[in-house]
Amino acid sequence: MQCLPYSFICILLLSSCASEYKHLQKSSPDVSCSQRVVPRYSGTSWYDASIDVTGRHMSGLLLMKSMPDSSKRVVFTNEAGITFFDFSFSKDGVFKTITIIKQLNKKPVIRTLSKDFALVLGLPFYGGTFERYTGDENVYYGVRQKKGTAYFITNKDCASLQGLEWGTRRKRIVSVRLPGSGYPVPDRIELDHHTFSMLINLTRIKKE
Amino acid sequence: MYVLTSYWMRTDMCTSEIILRRGGFGLLIVACCFFCTVGFAQYAGYKAISNLDTFKQRFKTESSKVLSIESSFVQDKVLTALTEKITSKGKFWFKRSNMVRIEYVTPFAYTMIMNGDKLLLRDGQKENRVNVKSNKLFQQVNRIVLDCVQGTILESKDFSVRYFENEKIFLMELTPTSKVLLEFFQTIILKVDNKDFSVNSIEMIEQTGDKTTISFLDKKINTQFADAVFAL
Repeated sequence: MQCLPYSFICILLLSSCASEYKHLQKSSPDVSCSQRVVPRYSGTSWYDASIDVTGRHMSGLLLMKSMPDSSKRVVFTNEAGITFFDFSFSKDGVFKTITIIKQLNKKPVIRTLSKDFALVLGLPFYGGTFERYTGDENVYYGVRQKKGTAYFITNKDCASLQGLEWGTRRKRIVSVRLPGSGYPVPDRIELDHHTFSMLINLTRIKKE
Repeated sequence: MYVLTSYWMRTDMCTSEIILRRGGFGLLIVACCFFCTVGFAQYAGYKAISNLDTFKQRFKTESSKVLSIESSFVQDKVLTALTEKITSKGKFWFKRSNMVRIEYVTPFAYTMIMNGDKLLLRDGQKENRVNVKSNKLFQQVNRIVLDCVQGTILESKDFSVRYFENEKIFLMELTPTSKVLLEFFQTIILKVDNKDFSVNSIEMIEQTGDKTTISFLDKKINTQFADAVFAL
């Protein structure tokens, strides 16, 4: 009877430590599916952007552009046109800050945003070896990175891309939903952080 | 114009290099004098305003007669290095002395209302109310917008100003002097109608060379409209 509170705490701790990916079973690769659905951003798009971070809200316009040298640029401006940041990803995935305003020029901010946009652009999946995991409803294709794994998720019949994720062995870190049409130029992108409160909503602007 | 100036500067450097290589020191001095003059070149089609005191006084008097403005606007944002441009359109209202509403209609919806020290930002369903006094940056942006529209920008200590004119337009080149503004802007070019002293366009050039031009169209000066436009 004296052990009951201790056992209860142990169960609680164990359940909180349980992997969010425990439902996934490693399965044999399906190259034709992964090659067909793998997210690869190309082209040029402006997005109406809304960002909520720990109770603070900001909005603006986000440009994602594939450059002639196969690098990618991500530029965020406010509605009045002032550039807040301009990021570059080389074709090998090397990240560089072209410009950023003082208020955002903090290492954790840049690291978070660069990882988020690398995932949205599909950069972790370039030339990676995919591991296939089957869940209850979806199939996850994971590419191991230095820290964690980048996933793209399809439905079981590989008909379409369902979303993207960054995760560690146990935890989902970031998930990306694509409610509209998908890649190469998604109509809508919803990026949600699970370890702190941050939500990025992007809606593609149809230019005149 | 900015592109032209940059082109000039590049051309000047190339020419100087050629002169140096040929060892023509005297020629170099002549060239330097010439290019120094080019460096202070006026805007094409504009000449420097000669009697500044008279102009400033007239500008102050005439622009003080603008009590309200209702207009449409077109905003072009150009990302120079990326050869990208996005155009947005909207409506603009101003009422003396410190009420401004800027409403972007297309290709996105965004409204900014300034009423005294209060600022309302609305994008989609979300509203953000800011007390301008509590934020130095907002305070300065608020001040610039109002100063530009009210014609008091020439008295601002945040800028050094160069003055030009042609037969229709007064052009004022504003260079920020404050640290906060210098982070964002290299220059702001204000073009003002020389008949009614209303602002035709505001061109904001960032340190990267990216440029945003807001052109005001279908301006209605001193017409009546309700203060409710500026309700927060």
